[in-house]
Amino acid sequence: MTPPPSAASDPMQHASTAPLKVEQVTLSGSTMGLAPKMMLLGLVTLGAGLLLDLVAGPKGLYHFAHAYLLGYFFCLTIALGALIFVCLQRLTKAGWSVVIRRLAELIASTMPALAILAIPVLVFMHQLYPWTHAELVENDAILLGKQAYLNMPFFIGRVAVYFAVWIWIARKMLTLSLRQDESGDVELTRKAERLSAPAVILFALTVTFAGFDLLMSLDPHWFSTIYGVYVFAGSMVGFLSVAILGVKFLQSRGVLRDVVTVEHFHDLGKLLFGFTMFWGYIAFSQFMLIWYANIPEETIWFEHRMSHGWGWVSLILLFGHFVIPFGGLLSRHVKRDARGLVFWAAWQLVMHLVDIYWLIMPALNLAHGKVGAPGYAPALHAGFPLHVLDVLAVVGFGALFVGLVMRSMRGVNLVPLKDPRLAEARGFHNF
Amino acid sequence: MNPLDDKMRWLEKAGDVDAKAPQEMHGLLVEFDSPETLLDACRKVRDAGYTKWDALTPFPVHGIDEAMGIRMTILPWLALGAGLTGLAIAFGLQIFTNGIDYPFLVSGKPLISVPAQIPVAFELTVLFAAFTTFFGMLVLNFLPEVFHPLFRAKRFPRMTADRFGIYIEAKDPLFNRQQAELLFTRLGATGVEPVLSRTGRAPMPVMIHGVGLTLTLLALIPPALIVKSRYSKSDKPRIHIIQDMDFQERYKTQSAHPLLPRGAASMEPVAGTIARGELNEDDHMYRGMAGDEFVRGFPMALTESVLNRGQRQFAIYCAPCHGLTGVGDGPIARRADRLAEGTWVAPTSFHTELVLEQAEGQIFHTITNGVRTMKPYAAQIEVADRWAIVAYVRALQRSQRASIDDVPPDIRAQLAQ
Repeated sequence: MTPPPSAASDPMQHASTAPLKVEQVTLSGSTMGLAPKMMLLGLVTLGAGLLLDLVAGPKGLYHFAHAYLLGYFFCLTIALGALIFVCLQRLTKAGWSVVIRRLAELIASTMPALAILAIPVLVFMHQLYPWTHAELVENDAILLGKQAYLNMPFFIGRVAVYFAVWIWIARKMLTLSLRQDESGDVELTRKAERLSAPAVILFALTVTFAGFDLLMSLDPHWFSTIYGVYVFAGSMVGFLSVAILGVKFLQSRGVLRDVVTVEHFHDLGKLLFGFTMFWGYIAFSQFMLIWYANIPEETIWFEHRMSHGWGWVSLILLFGHFVIPFGGLLSRHVKRDARGLVFWAAWQLVMHLVDIYWLIMPALNLAHGKVGAPGYAPALHAGFPLHVLDVLAVVGFGALFVGLVMRSMRGVNLVPLKDPRLAEARGFHNF
Repeated sequence: MNPLDDKMRWLEKAGDVDAKAPQEMHGLLVEFDSPETLLDACRKVRDAGYTKWDALTPFPVHGIDEAMGIRMTILPWLALGAGLTGLAIAFGLQIFTNGIDYPFLVSGKPLISVPAQIPVAFELTVLFAAFTTFFGMLVLNFLPEVFHPLFRAKRFPRMTADRFGIYIEAKDPLFNRQQAELLFTRLGATGVEPVLSRTGRAPMPVMIHGVGLTLTLLALIPPALIVKSRYSKSDKPRIHIIQDMDFQERYKTQSAHPLLPRGAASMEPVAGTIARGELNEDDHMYRGMAGDEFVRGFPMALTESVLNRGQRQFAIYCAPCHGLTGVGDGPIARRADRLAEGTWVAPTSFHTELVLEQAEGQIFHTITNGVRTMKPYAAQIEVADRWAIVAYVRALQRSQRASIDDVPPDIRAQLAQ
């Protein structure tokens, strides 16, 4: 028997096998010039926020701390989504995603900068985390019981471990990939694939506990074991939206043109659709168990998010983060249409921000006296605390993060040129 | 051993059998040796206006849909429709069965409660969409294909390995063998093979009739048995399908046992022992009695925490009928009054002389064993909590008959103002 031919070459796909030009692979100097400007804009905006709250007095500091965490965690989830995306592509030995993987590797490589940006979160611990107040813990049987886990040295140590793990994985993945650009050694691909399996396990554990620590302990009485998965689901939605928008932006500058095709966008769209569904599934799983059991110590978290105007935000999430984009992204034609996909990616990115806002900001009400410990914090806002600080923090962090990602693109090929699966990726075709 | 050779040998044998029947032209199989020539040929066939034809490839070939002029499948629309149908059925079923036809409260949720219905709605949406996609794919592709004359073609097996083909059916209105052969030779075909099939339908083997008849008759037996048992009466006990659950190898209470003392399966406790948790020696504490009399006073010290505990337990277990102040106006009592329930015995007010004069032990006894229509609460409320409730009842009674002497001296002045 004659062995079957290994692959079909498609006469219509000649364009995708043409050798890559320099401008398709590297960012031009004029675009690179945006990076420091973006970073400066980000830092100035964040600084303006800090000034603004210092003028507002001690109450303002509470709001600034929460707004900072909002902007910070928003960017962190995107970097985390990029990190797990890289690991998953390596783990599954994916071919199609090779042309997108470098972008994800670079986004994940902002992890050291994000570790430094986590320091203010630790500085503002008193404003953020009620369990850091000794006088509050003393009078609270629940917090006393959690003290073995929720105490400052252990908390700071854990955050340090999370970032050590994330930085290590991100750096390892990027250097393996970059070294291959020079040597073309296939063994480097195998190394990355071998690394990806333990990396995914480490990632799952660290993201779960980072979610517990950084966000869930804002309301230290409350607990939900699915919370880490919820953060992960949101991270993937955030990263995939950024990936779609980022590739589109780069293509508008000439990079990745004719490299990332409608077929790759289609797959990114499918993943975005899938994780939109996954987010809805996880969000509902968390809600339904709590709603059904109806135990006050659990329902209080949703009670905070379904009253005082927050009910509207919850509804925006239900429809905006799940129902509407589910319908919007359902069709194959939308995922293959450049404008359609960009629209839904931008939409989901905004919704991801609303999601983080919804997770963090009700705790600000809590911080301002709802836990009710004397002298803990003065009541500032009852209800819905949308504030110019939130906008400044999000804009500042957004600009800073974009600047950081662009800075990491300096002198780096945006396509892994000697990846053994590059040809497969460029010839990739959905049926 | 090459599986392709096997197939060829099978084909020759099958062909011999079939060759005895009268044959007619079924179609023309054309062979190509590369996907490029195939795609090119497909475009030509498409443009020539043929309608009853197909391309055969050992693996999916990019762009063949377009080259063959195949329109987008309607399967996604079917899946969407089925998914929405599943969604509608799930909500409809749950709303009708649990909210309308047989209203049944679960966990105090509303009768028509969307969050509780979502898991079923989700599953049914997925189930309907998945089944429709899977079976719809089969139906739209005319699968499974048990037999096709093409299966007997000599060149067909290699089209599952390393050759490509176009098959044009003789039924196609444009079909003309000479013209087609000429066209394909020009397009780079490496071989052309006419495919024959027997004229008319092949007779069904007799054996199949027999097997079919037997299976049909056998299949009728279970429903016949069900119908029989539904419409006939029997004084025999029902069939026990799961024997070892229905008849467990153990002795039931009160049953006989030849080896044990007294000839009974149940044994008495060993003389002089008390089962764990049953050492309730303190008559005052556990029964509220001293000899034959209900005891006055409490078996424990009355502290603030005892009264707080009593208040909470009272609110949970007593207040629904007796009301929070103990006058007998709890929500259940009020509802019974509103509905004018004939069999309802109104809960006793704690502020009547009857209860005021009762010993603490008697109130404890009432909570423990119940009275009139009030059921016993021994199983729900622990002993210490029952006493705490008694203490709280006393506090309630006193609250309604308080005199100035009950007020602590240092705040009497405030009241006077």
